Amino acid sequence: MSRRQLLKVEGLSLRFGGLQVLDDLSLTVREGRIVGLIGPNGAGKTSCFNCLTGIYRPQGGRVFFDGKDVSHLPTHRRARRGIARTWQNLGVIDALTVTENVMLAQHQRAGYSALAGMLGLAGTWHRERELRRDAAEIIEYFGLEDVADERAGELPYGVRKTCDMAMALATDPKMLMLDEPASGLSPEEALALGTTLRELRDRLRLTILMIEHHVPLVADVCDYVYVLNFGRLLTEGEPEAIQRHPEVIAAYLGGAAEPGAGSDGGTVPVAAADGPPDWPLVPEGPHSDGRPDGTA
Amino acid sequence: MATATMTFARVKVQRRFGLALRVTLVIALLAVAALPLVYGGDVWAQRISRAAIYAIIGLSINTLTGHAGQISLGHQAFVGIGAFAAAFTASRLGAPLGFGLAAGAVAGMATAAVVGMVALRVTGLYLALVTLAFGLTAETTIFNWREFTGGGAGAFAPRPDILSGDRAFALLCLGVLALVLYADWRLVSTKAGRALAAVRNDERIAATLGIDTTGYKLAAFSLSGLAAGLAGGLFAHWNQVVQAMDFEFQVALVWVLMTVVGGLRSRLGVVLASAFFALLPLTLPNFLSGLPWQPPFLNEAVYHVLPPFIVVVMLLLVLRFFPGGLGQLLRPATRWLTKGGRR
Repeated sequence: MSRRQLLKVEGLSLRFGGLQVLDDLSLTVREGRIVGLIGPNGAGKTSCFNCLTGIYRPQGGRVFFDGKDVSHLPTHRRARRGIARTWQNLGVIDALTVTENVMLAQHQRAGYSALAGMLGLAGTWHRERELRRDAAEIIEYFGLEDVADERAGELPYGVRKTCDMAMALATDPKMLMLDEPASGLSPEEALALGTTLRELRDRLRLTILMIEHHVPLVADVCDYVYVLNFGRLLTEGEPEAIQRHPEVIAAYLGGAAEPGAGSDGGTVPVAAADGPPDWPLVPEGPHSDGRPDGTA
Repeated sequence: MATATMTFARVKVQRRFGLALRVTLVIALLAVAALPLVYGGDVWAQRISRAAIYAIIGLSINTLTGHAGQISLGHQAFVGIGAFAAAFTASRLGAPLGFGLAAGAVAGMATAAVVGMVALRVTGLYLALVTLAFGLTAETTIFNWREFTGGGAGAFAPRPDILSGDRAFALLCLGVLALVLYADWRLVSTKAGRALAAVRNDERIAATLGIDTTGYKLAAFSLSGLAAGLAGGLFAHWNQVVQAMDFEFQVALVWVLMTVVGGLRSRLGVVLASAFFALLPLTLPNFLSGLPWQPPFLNEAVYHVLPPFIVVVMLLLVLRFFPGGLGQLLRPATRWLTKGGRR
């Protein structure tokens, strides 16, 4: 556990009107780890991602990335520090082709200014060819070469999801934030995703923070897990410990029926505590988030 | 094996032949387009200048609306300020024409940048209202600033000797248009074009990819203003006198409509539609009143108010049947001409 802290979040608080979305949330992501962020629907996981990337402005708390305070930086400057993310409802631009999307993601390492490109200066043509070659490599790594010239908007959900991941990687990030990477995937595809994620960690030395509901995947790849409930940290630990944690089981099983259980600190129903020894039920269907319907 | 080689050879020959055919066709089309300039005399040279100036304005609006997804209903202010700045530089300061055009471009850019800073805080309908209000305000304030615009008599913008001929001036306008077209082509082919596409579609996604969305929107405004100011400078020297009434709101509306009819993000469509709308008010009334049979109750005065109606009808047709505009209609042809049968 003596690895360097890549991301450190201290006392994050976010309110929308009277609704406390995040309440004094602190977490740490160490370099080269895969960290899971789990919790029932509405626990504030995606809001947390939006605060970390600077899309939401939290009322309190600080975010440190790579040793520097990035709390007040706008989204694009955080991205340039090496934070990349995927989106629950996909971060691809439908009007562009897959190749163009990946090249779009290479924006910050294009190596020439927008003005130079517009004037057609000599170096920009060469760099464009290089970028295209790099993009082709990334596209091939993700097996998207057959659809490279198709518009992203015309592709099935699963393919667009892969494209989203390819784009996040094309930004050349230090940390990858994945918002439900396995949603909409079949069990086999989810397992394959696990292999990919481990490969990204081990070969590219990427740090990964991911929101995920697919329990086998979390148990399989995560080195550490944070559990969120009603905007607060319920517990944290290694996945094996989390699986048996009584409060987690209570939050997943009783979260909807007993909102008080989470907000007053969580009195754990005894019945839930000696519930199934394996993971609790997955609390929601994979298509419950208002995502465009699609097939994997 | 031998069959395969033969097939390859045939494909190769066909490609070569196809390329030659396409190049010939493009040259032939350009030659036909150049006919009025060569044989049309001064009248057509003037018209071609006007068409080229409109095309630059159309591309200017295309930069803002087509690439960045922002709307401007106040473009007459940017063009007008460019025109007055060019006229001021030429007549009051006596500077060469190049300086006047540069002054027009810079003035247009600066104005658009200021409007852009305000406009960045609003979107959609409110942006339309802000730019509309700015355009109307500029008409009544800046354009009536006597020292700058020369008041009712207008500001004079004489041409230098070398450009005093209408044909020479038309060539200048076409040259500037070619530069603007080149810049637009490189813009969409490089990182700025992709960044603008992202900003236009989803600013959050753009920002998480490291794109400075505010900066790009402001840059799009400035760039649009630059082209508009440049067009204004050309207009000043084309007409040789600039008056406030040349830049009324109606003309800004026509510019936006012609860009939409031409097809946002389609260079060819925008250029063709702009040229069409530039020439329509000049040619249609004369053409109709020259017809041997005149319908009852119609006369030349009526013909002069026809073009705006035609604009509106064309807009409705475009919105209903081909939202991509003229560019969408022409796409099969342009795709074949630029890329042949390949994708």
